[in-house]
Amino acid sequence: MSEVSSNSSIKTDPSTFLSGIIGSKVSVKLNNGVSYVGNLQSIDGFMNIVMDTTAEFIGGAASGTKYGDVFIRGNNVLYISKV
Amino acid sequence: MADVQPQQKQEEPLDLIRYQLDETVLVKLRGAREMKGKLQGYDSHCNMVLSDATEYIYAENQDKPQGKSTDMVFIRGDSVILISPVAE
Repeated sequence: MSEVSSNSSIKTDPSTFLSGIIGSKVSVKLNNGVSYVGNLQSIDGFMNIVMDTTAEFIGGAASGTKYGDVFIRGNNVLYISKV
Repeated sequence: MADVQPQQKQEEPLDLIRYQLDETVLVKLRGAREMKGKLQGYDSHCNMVLSDATEYIYAENQDKPQGKSTDMVFIRGDSVILISPVAE
């Protein structure tokens, strides 16, 4: 069989997913339990992330801290999800 | 031939920090610490040098830590969690 994946909407590989969500609103959870919700501007292979209009959530509740622009070092990232 | 790219190259996160050089940034660090200062330089490990820096250490029993000022400070990249410009 030539085509492994006939339905690309089901089989999305990680880098395709990440480049596809650039510009959309994402939630980034860090290893320390804090998460950040904002517009994803850029991401690289280390999972370093730049977001804008970012809000901080500690334990699921908004901490009230807002960042205009934020750079997150990749080693802290647990997951990135589109919201 | 391959040098010319049809669309503008996507800027990577570390390229975007360059716009914050010479601006005041807030750096969140491991161990409930923050450092605020003027960004003089950084590298791919997020090692960075801040001038006129103030360090804030958050403790559980007090909500407003007093800052400790330093003229010039080097931060090792592995303790960096996030970097954000501050209005000032």
